[in-house]
Amino acid sequence: MAAVAAPHPATTLRRGLPYWLASYWALTRWHLAGLRMWVMVLVVIQIMAGAGFVLGIGLFFAHIPAIVALYVCTGVPVINLVLIGLILGPQLVAEQKLQQSYDFVRSMPTPQTAAAMAWYTVCLLAGLPAVVVSLLIAEARYGISLTVSPAIVPAVLLTAFTGTMIGYGLGHAVPNPMVTQLVTQLLVFAIFGFTPILFPAWQLPHWLATLNWWLPFEHMAVIVRDGLTAHMVTGVASSYLIVAAWGGIGSAAAAWALGRRG
Amino acid sequence: MSTEAAVELARTTRAGAGYWVASLRSMLRFDLTRARQWAAMMVIIQVLMGVGMALIYGFFYPRVSHQTALLITTGTPTLALIPLGFVMVPASVGQQKLEGTFDFTWSLPVPRSAQAVSTFLLFTVLSLPGAVLALVVSAWYYGVTLSVSPQLLPAIVLSAVMAVSVGFGMGLIIANPLLTNLITNALMFVVLLFTPIVFPASHLPEWLFAVDRALPFYNMAEVIRAGLTTGLVTDLASAYLILSGWTVAGWVMTAWVVGRRR
Repeated sequence: MAAVAAPHPATTLRRGLPYWLASYWALTRWHLAGLRMWVMVLVVIQIMAGAGFVLGIGLFFAHIPAIVALYVCTGVPVINLVLIGLILGPQLVAEQKLQQSYDFVRSMPTPQTAAAMAWYTVCLLAGLPAVVVSLLIAEARYGISLTVSPAIVPAVLLTAFTGTMIGYGLGHAVPNPMVTQLVTQLLVFAIFGFTPILFPAWQLPHWLATLNWWLPFEHMAVIVRDGLTAHMVTGVASSYLIVAAWGGIGSAAAAWALGRRG
Repeated sequence: MSTEAAVELARTTRAGAGYWVASLRSMLRFDLTRARQWAAMMVIIQVLMGVGMALIYGFFYPRVSHQTALLITTGTPTLALIPLGFVMVPASVGQQKLEGTFDFTWSLPVPRSAQAVSTFLLFTVLSLPGAVLALVVSAWYYGVTLSVSPQLLPAIVLSAVMAVSVGFGMGLIIANPLLTNLITNALMFVVLLFTPIVFPASHLPEWLFAVDRALPFYNMAEVIRAGLTTGLVTDLASAYLILSGWTVAGWVMTAWVVGRRR
């Protein structure tokens, strides 16, 4: 009779920075592989939507005022940055819940923060090409000259982070996938039309402008504009704070939902 | 041994105009009963979308002139009909395909043409209150006085029938519901930005206007606007002709799919 070696438990520790980094890298690759066809489609859709908005807005006016064009052209990148994390993220989680693969994904032995960061990386990567293309098209179509400053780097990183984390929180904390779908669809509509991203806040009714001050979207546009133009926006510091606070709220909601025993 | 009466076959003939009308009546009752679940919701979504879009267009203008307000208001019924006909109807067809509803209804001893007519009638009637309500809200918001003429009735009914017919035909003829979803959403985006529904056609490059004249959306806006204003719209005959052409195209698409044996 052959001797059978007793199975012994893994001796590697499942914590520490190397483990976190390995998990992060594995999950990023896992997302990219899982979405491989989707990522390409999404990038193309984003580029077309961005270009469509930049070009289409010119048709609303007989002669588009320079300031209107500037608002739209510097606002479209914000929408490009948040759309995937904010809209698609929750929808993917909702789909996992419907297909019941959600529990499987959650059971993987990876730190939750690594999972969240991996998802953020994917959303950021999928959003960036559209940002660049939208800005190039805007420059070509309206002859706008942008003054890109180093502030664009933290602005882009934080905007994408907050968008992704709100979506992440929404997807994980809302138990019913149908509700998630509905909320995200309303969000798309609201972000395009009822938040001052593509136009200045004073063009909204007063109460809506006030409401928007408490929401992150207007401030995302402010910090991104600060990185793309000179002297166009003020109150950048408070905008950074509000966007960061919303990123914190989204992360906390996700952490709360993921930390519960389900 | 008892004698058994021979099983009697149905004596009525399942053909002829009388049978068709009776079938239509049964199908209408069948469809209406099913619609009770979602009809109210559909009208609400339609009004919200129509009014929402009418507001959003206004937000993009630094100053909404009387002319702009008039164009947006008179475009509102079109804005309310387009999502219903070109998004909700194809989506409902897609869902019915997934649920296998067509397999059931097509197996009923009712002419399929009566089934299609019943669906068209139902959706057309359901689309009208939303379109009118959206118009009323928009006119109130922008403070526009309209001169409503009897011409509005045929205009809005033809537009609704056309939108429902093309939407239904599209939903049937495109085999994959996911593809239908993608196409209809992309269509909405392009139509809302690049079709002169709420801005003058003179803003468009010539080639784009030529495309819009051949498509149904601009023509819907024209015939409805003609029923709400005086002296703003000319060349109605061609608009009516093109709308009728698209209606027939929707019917042909429907007949082609519905008439096939499976």
